[in-house]
Amino acid sequence: MGSSTSQLSKELLSEYQELTFLTKQEILLAHKTFIELLPPESQNVVDSLTAQVSRVPTEKVLTLPELKANPFKDRICRVFSTAPEKDSLSFEDFLDLLSVFSDAATPDIKSHYAFRIFDFDDDGTLNKEDLKQLVNRLTGTEEDTQLSPSEMNQLIQNILEESDIDRDGTINLSEFQHVISRSPDFTSSFKIVL
Amino acid sequence: MEAGGASGGQWVPRGPGPGPSLPALLSQLPSSATVRYRGPGIPPWGAPEPCLEQSGQGHQARGKAAPATSPEEPPESQALRELPWPMEAKRYLWKRQGDRPTKQVVGMRGSKGALLLGRAWAPLAGIPKMLEPWRTTLMKIGGQYGAGTESYFRLLRFLLGLNILGALFQGALTLLPLFLLGPLPQPPSPGVSQPCGSYDPRPGGLVDYPTLLTNLLSGEGHLEWSPLFYGFYPVQLRGGTFQLPLAYLLSTFVSGLLCLLLILRRSVSGLKQTLLSESGALTSYSHRIFSAWDFRLQGAGPAELRRRALRYELQVELEEAAARKSAEARSRGQWAALWGARTLLNLLMLALLGAAFYGIYWATDPDGRLQNDPVVQEVPILKLLVAYLPSIFMSGANLILPPVLGLLTGLEGYTRSRQVQLILLRWTVFLRLASLVVLLGSLWKQITCGGNPEAEACATCGYAYRELPCWETRLGQEMYKLLLFDLLTCLAVPLLVQFPRKLLGSMCGGPLGRLLGTLEFQVPDEVLGLVYGQTLVWVGGFYCPLLALLNTAKFLLLFYLKRFTLFTFFSPASRTFRASTANFFFPLVLLLGLALSAVPVLYGIFVIPPSKLCGPFQGQVNIWASIPNAIQGLSQGVRDFLFSLGTLSFAVPLMLASSILMVYTLTLASSYGRLVSTLKGHIKMESESKVLLAKRIVELGGKNHDLH
Repeated sequence: MGSSTSQLSKELLSEYQELTFLTKQEILLAHKTFIELLPPESQNVVDSLTAQVSRVPTEKVLTLPELKANPFKDRICRVFSTAPEKDSLSFEDFLDLLSVFSDAATPDIKSHYAFRIFDFDDDGTLNKEDLKQLVNRLTGTEEDTQLSPSEMNQLIQNILEESDIDRDGTINLSEFQHVISRSPDFTSSFKIVL
Repeated sequence: MEAGGASGGQWVPRGPGPGPSLPALLSQLPSSATVRYRGPGIPPWGAPEPCLEQSGQGHQARGKAAPATSPEEPPESQALRELPWPMEAKRYLWKRQGDRPTKQVVGMRGSKGALLLGRAWAPLAGIPKMLEPWRTTLMKIGGQYGAGTESYFRLLRFLLGLNILGALFQGALTLLPLFLLGPLPQPPSPGVSQPCGSYDPRPGGLVDYPTLLTNLLSGEGHLEWSPLFYGFYPVQLRGGTFQLPLAYLLSTFVSGLLCLLLILRRSVSGLKQTLLSESGALTSYSHRIFSAWDFRLQGAGPAELRRRALRYELQVELEEAAARKSAEARSRGQWAALWGARTLLNLLMLALLGAAFYGIYWATDPDGRLQNDPVVQEVPILKLLVAYLPSIFMSGANLILPPVLGLLTGLEGYTRSRQVQLILLRWTVFLRLASLVVLLGSLWKQITCGGNPEAEACATCGYAYRELPCWETRLGQEMYKLLLFDLLTCLAVPLLVQFPRKLLGSMCGGPLGRLLGTLEFQVPDEVLGLVYGQTLVWVGGFYCPLLALLNTAKFLLLFYLKRFTLFTFFSPASRTFRASTANFFFPLVLLLGLALSAVPVLYGIFVIPPSKLCGPFQGQVNIWASIPNAIQGLSQGVRDFLFSLGTLSFAVPLMLASSILMVYTLTLASSYGRLVSTLKGHIKMESESKVLLAKRIVELGGKNHDLH
């Protein structure tokens, strides 16, 4: 780590520590990982930090071993991307990603982002289609690995019955957070560490 | 949906028909807009892209989209990193906050100091996390094998910490003064015959190798007169200022109390989470879906396995729900038959357990018949075998019975779900801890002549002095043997059971091979093994002070061994085990073990007379007597205070106060529960009204458009 300490300035490090849940070592490791994903001509500190110049396209980010096997990998990159087309991540987006998935993040922010990740059609609520896609991603995308339509309907019915407090047929953020708050396994499973 | 600029620069997505559609209308509401707000200057979540024409109107849209709560100004007390905004927005706000250092917030002056303290403390808060050993290992295990296996290893780490603390205490209070101050005690001379028999633990000089090995394994010979056992410690040390008996007694109490506090602290956090969930059955589907995927999982293989497991579990759960519905329609005759079968099976299980307990009782050889057999005395291997017979029987029972009990429980007709696991757990807990109780019971019978102080063997000295001149050392030896045998079993099982199974599984193909070769980590059984080992140490810690140290070494070895076998032999679990139940249930079983271990220790301290020939409590009427003697030596004021603590006038108000506190807390909890359900009803009502109004607006909007 000796060479990388001189790469990120102290003020920048402390600013990142203030604005994310990551520790100094984690930020430096993230920077190292990010630089390796950039094309060789932009692999220096200055370029890696300027979002306009260097953004890593989503396909490259998805080659990271931590994300490769994740069924929600494309949604994760889409949620954290600040590019107009939402197809690339800058270094700060990457830090945001790691911050939310870190050990120290609050359950609140984790559930907020989980909601966004599960909201496949980006309309701010989880409706039946979102839930259907969620279950399919969990069980497998091929024909023989999916649940039968009747099982799926039954399952979604059960979920809505349990979580949809206001009975409007969708799960909004506060209902989602309410359900998640009573699931103590969520915080320990919603973690990615480099 | 086409995006259209309406008259006020507001972004109103239009539906396929005339007028705003229902979902579009609902998405404009403040509650939904606050969710989508992502910070100043960033387009709100869900806005159509590209929104270049909105950038100029972005400010207005932002202002209109979130009128009431003005999300530009999150409360001062919220740390910026907790906002779900991208880095740009957070930095912008941070700079703005930094430019206004003197802004006073009314009514929050006190909390501002606390806030600054919290911010200063934050970098240091990461340090305790760094000191935790094996953090990365545990995370890897949790990701690959599930939360249940991870909680087992966490418990192992916790127990390791407990043992280190206990060993430190006992070492510091008893061993250190002994080595620093007093002369190392010599064994009592054999020639002298005293009213309570003679005690000759002197090792016979040079012994041959097999005898040395058997002595090491059974705690006799050289080990008997060593700091390992109670009998070694003298009554007085040089100098006379340090009271070794008192320190010995107090170290046991203090370490026991410390263990109790730490376990309670651990179980309270688990309890908080269990209490929060109103009823596990109510939210099982949502939990199962939303927290199903463990994001720490890496690698395509484990991910595929996890997917398969999830699918299987979901299908099973849905099937069971359907089966449960049909089961409720059982006729009375069927119910009677079911319950008849259940009682029969439970009786059978009780009979099996009774047989196991009788076997253990017989193995402890209460009448000494096997030990005094001349054939056994000749051959040292047989002697060792007889000495270890109780441990062998107990381990055998613990290995054979649980699968049999599992089979029988399966026949009871419960649905194949967590119910079965819990019921099985009940029986296995009973088996493990009760076998220890049986062993202790038979030892008690030997020491106190069946609790009859008038029996001719116990009349002179209060304990059976002829067979057990130093009964505390004998008890310590039994616990030592149990510990060693437990370790040997843990070492032998991977070698003799798991490795061959894996080998056979890979050699035979087909379903048989898969059945043999798939090994899964049985979390409840393993945890019970841990609790059993720790209970042994708690029982024996008073009579064998270095037992905690030995146990530390044993648990350390166990951690690495279990981790190695886990990664080498085991496949990921096919059923998910919820960490929350584990975190609550396991400390509870530990507490049970602690309570169980307190009984023989306290009985030995208060009731049974200490040996007259060995140990720091020689010559006293019972072990506890050293404390009142010590109190007599204190000043008058302290003495009066301590005595008043034991009187009724202190105990009764204390009990009254704690019962009042308990009743108050219970009432508070139930009233909160009622409040929560009332509020839920309110939310439902409000939302129904909202949806109704929105529908009316859509209808009217459509009608208006039609009219034009």
